[in-house]
Amino acid sequence: MADLEFTLNGQQQTLSVDDGTPLLWVLRDHLAMTGTKFGCGMGLCGACTVHLDGSPIRSCSYPAEFVNGKAITTIEGLASSDENLHPVQQAWLEMNVPQCGYCQSGQIMSAVALLANNSAPNDAEIDAAMAGNICRCGTYPRIRKAIHRASELAVVQHYQPANTVKENV
Amino acid sequence: MTISRRSFIKGGAIFGGGLAIGFNLSGCAQTEYPHFSATDLQPNAYIQVSPSGQVILQLYKSEMGQGVYTGMATMAAEELNMDPSLIIVQHAEFYPDFRDPEFYVMITGGSSSIKYGYTILREAAATVAAMLKTAAAQYLSIAESALNLKDGKVVYAGGEVDFATLLPIARGLATPTEVTLKSPQDFQYIGRHRQRLDALGKVTGKSEFGIDVQYPGAMTAVLLRCPHFGGKVSSFDASNALKMSGVKSVFEVDGAVAVLAETYWQARQAAGVVSVVWDKGPLAGVSSESLRVERHGMLTSEAGKNVEEKGEASAATGELFEAVYDVPYLAHATMEPMNAVAVATKEGIEIWTGNQSPDIALSEIADATGFKREQIRIHNHMLGGGFGRRIMPDYLVEAARIAQLSGKPVRLVWSREDDMRGDFYRPNATVAMSAMIDQSAVTSLQAKIVAPSILGGFVQFVTNTLLPQWLPKGLHKKIGGMASGSDPAAAEGIAHSDYEFPYMRTDYVEQKTTIPLGYWRSVGHSQNGFFIESFIDELAHQTTQDPVAFRLAHMAKDSRRRQVLELAAAKANWGNPPQGQFQGVAVHESFSTVVAQVVNVSIADGKIKVHKVVCAVECGMVINSDIVVAQMEGGIVFALTAALKGEITIEDGAVQQSNFHDYEVLRINETPEIEVYRVDSANAPTGVGEPGVPPLAPALANAVFAATGQRLRKLPLRLA
Repeated sequence: MADLEFTLNGQQQTLSVDDGTPLLWVLRDHLAMTGTKFGCGMGLCGACTVHLDGSPIRSCSYPAEFVNGKAITTIEGLASSDENLHPVQQAWLEMNVPQCGYCQSGQIMSAVALLANNSAPNDAEIDAAMAGNICRCGTYPRIRKAIHRASELAVVQHYQPANTVKENV
Repeated sequence: MTISRRSFIKGGAIFGGGLAIGFNLSGCAQTEYPHFSATDLQPNAYIQVSPSGQVILQLYKSEMGQGVYTGMATMAAEELNMDPSLIIVQHAEFYPDFRDPEFYVMITGGSSSIKYGYTILREAAATVAAMLKTAAAQYLSIAESALNLKDGKVVYAGGEVDFATLLPIARGLATPTEVTLKSPQDFQYIGRHRQRLDALGKVTGKSEFGIDVQYPGAMTAVLLRCPHFGGKVSSFDASNALKMSGVKSVFEVDGAVAVLAETYWQARQAAGVVSVVWDKGPLAGVSSESLRVERHGMLTSEAGKNVEEKGEASAATGELFEAVYDVPYLAHATMEPMNAVAVATKEGIEIWTGNQSPDIALSEIADATGFKREQIRIHNHMLGGGFGRRIMPDYLVEAARIAQLSGKPVRLVWSREDDMRGDFYRPNATVAMSAMIDQSAVTSLQAKIVAPSILGGFVQFVTNTLLPQWLPKGLHKKIGGMASGSDPAAAEGIAHSDYEFPYMRTDYVEQKTTIPLGYWRSVGHSQNGFFIESFIDELAHQTTQDPVAFRLAHMAKDSRRRQVLELAAAKANWGNPPQGQFQGVAVHESFSTVVAQVVNVSIADGKIKVHKVVCAVECGMVINSDIVVAQMEGGIVFALTAALKGEITIEDGAVQQSNFHDYEVLRINETPEIEVYRVDSANAPTGVGEPGVPPLAPALANAVFAATGQRLRKLPLRLA
C-alpha cells in the first residue's frame, strides 16, 4: 500500500491506496471527485488533465505516490462558485465551447496552465499547448477563440499594464 | 395559428401516413408517467409545473453534445414566454409517448429530435400555458385576453401572479383539446437564444455523465470479452487474480469473464492476470482485407438488388467511364468509454447510464435477465459522446447481467481498448460508380454498392433474441425486410439524389460476412456522400467543366441544394484560392438538411494540409443559430478524422487497433479554419447533428485532385 499525503484544491488529503494506483483513480474512486475524466488510460487524450503544483499532468498515467507533498488542482478547484468562475471557464461559456462536454475539464485545465505561462498566446502557441487534448465533438475552433477571450478577461481581472499587448487576438 | 391537439396526437398527419405510433396519449393515465408527481400540474408527459412553480421539461432525447438540452428547452420556453434558462431539464425515463415518430422506438438518432420536437414540445408547452392562463383568469377574475405569461408568472396590467399560486386551480382544469401556437414572427427565443444551457455544468466539472454516477457500495466490474467477434470463453484461470488487492470475484457471464473489485484500478489490474482460452467463433480467419477482396469480386459476380432506376437504359449512350471506391470500418470512439451502473434485486433491475435508446435497452435487458420490461428502470445522464454508438444496449445488458449474477451493485467500466475493439462499426463498403459519356455529355449515372447491412449485422451479432421481443410489430416487419438485403441505409445518399441524367440506376449487393455494425454519425451518407460527390467531380473533369457549374447544370431546377452550393462557392471565393492552395467542393442532402462545403488544401512534404473549410447549410428555421454552427464545425472535424486517419482493420476476426495511438483522431493543431454560413429559410426546422459530415470527405478528395492530379478513391486519403 502507498500512503498518500497531498493537497487537493487546497484541502489536505491523507489516504492509503494500492501501490501504483494512478492519480485519476484516486480522485475518481477513492475521493469521488468525478470532474476529472477517464478517456484512454495512456495519456493520449488529455481528458484526465489536472495540475501538479500548477503544471498540467495526465492523471490517468501518473502514479499517485508521486504527488506526495504536492498540490493538486482539479476542475472543481478552479472557481470558488458558479458566480465567480475562472476567466477560462467564463470564456468557455461566452464562446459556447462545450458540446458533449466530457473532454472539457481536461481542455480547461490545459488552457489554464497555458495562460499561466503565456498570458497572450497566439494560435500556434495554443495549438502546441492544446494538442494533447482530444475532442471528438470537434470544439477545437471554439477552444482557440475561447483561449484568446480568456486572455482578455484575465488581463482585465489582473490588470498589469506591461502585459496588455497581445498578438493575434 | 391553431392546431387541434387531438388530431396531431392521434393522427400524426403532419408527418405523413403511418406515423401515429409515437403519439398515443390516450389510454395512458398520468399516474403511468415514470416521472409522475401527485402534486404537479402535469397535463402531458413532456412538461409539468411543480408546486413551487418550477417548469420541468422531460428531456426525452439524449444530450450527447448535439444540443437538444438547449434546443428543446428553448422550444418549450417559447410557448411559455419564459427565458429558457428558467426551465428545469430532467433526463426522461422511457415512456411510450417519447417514442420517435420516424423510428417507432424511444431513440435519439437520424437527426430527428428538433425536426419532430418543434411541434411536439410547442404543443405540450402551449397546453400548460393555456391551463395556467385559464387558472389565472379564474383566480383574478380577469379576462384571459388581458393576461400574459412572462418568465414563470402570469402578468396583467395591475400586477402579476406566480405559477405556484395558480397551481391548485390549474390542476383542477380539464386539459384543453385545442391550443394556439405562436406565429414564428412572434418568437422571442426560437432563433434568438444563443447560449448553451448545459455549458455551465460542463465547464465546472459538475455535469453528471453515466461514468460519474455514485451508488453506495457499488463494486467496479471490468469484463474480458473475446477479442474475436462472435467468439466466447472456453476456459479461464483466475487463481492469480483472486489473490490481488480488492478483488471480490471473477466469473463467467454470457461468454465473457467478469472481474469485480473495489475500484477500477484493482479490477483492471486483476483482469490483466486472468488467463483465458477463447473459442474464436465464426469469424476466425476473417480479415478486413479478405472482406475487401470479396467485395471487389462481388461487384461482378453478384447482380444485387435494384434500389432505383430512372429513365431508359437506351438513353445511356457513348463511352463507359467507371471508377471503384472503397471505405473502411470506422469506430465511434466517444470520449467517454461505455459504462453503466446496475443494481439487481428480486423485484427488478435499475440502471444508471448514458444511452441513446433506453427503449431498445429495456427489451434487451429483459431478454437477458428474465425480468419484464416493467421491472427495469433506466436513468439516463449526459452522454460523453454518442455519434450512434450509444444506440446499442450491449453495455447496459452486460452491467445488468453482472449485477444479477453477483448480487451486488456494480459499476461496469470499459477501457479505451474495450471500446475500440467492442464497437459496432461504420460498415466497410465498395462501390463501382459508372457513367456513359457521349461527346462530353454525361448520359447516365450508375452505382453498384457492395456493403454489409447494418441491420443484417445487428440481427446476426447483437442477439438472437432481440428481434422477436423488443420491437413493435410494425418495426419488426420493417427491420426483417431491411435485414434481408435491402437496407436503405446502404444506398442512402446515392439513390434518390436529385441529380438529373438521362439514365440513373443504383443497385445494392449485400455482403453477408461482417463484424458488428452500427449507426455512425450520418450512417450510409458517411460513405455514399464520398462516393457520389467524388464521382460527380470526376465527371466534371472528364467533360472539362467547372465542378460547381457541372453540379448546378445537372441538379433539379428546384433542388434545395442549388442555393446552398452557390452560397458556399461565393463565400469560399470559388475558383480563386490563395496562392499555393487548391479547392474542392461537395454538396449533399441528408436527414432533410443540405450542406455544401468548399475545402482549401495544399500539399507539403507529401502530406495533405487542410487550410480552410467553408460550409453552407440549409436546415429550415433555426432554433439556436450558434448550435447550428457548432454542429457544422463538429461534423467537419469528425469527418476530417475519417477522411484523413480513420481505419479499423480486422485480422482473424479481431480488431487490430486499441487506443488513440493507433486509431488517431484529429487534434487542434490539425484543425483548419472553419466558416459556416446559413441559407435563411422559413421552413420547419430540420436536424443538424449529422448532415455536416457527408460532404467533407469528397470536398477534400476533390481538392487533393485539384492539387495533385491524384484521384484518391479510398478512405482514409493517402497520397501515392
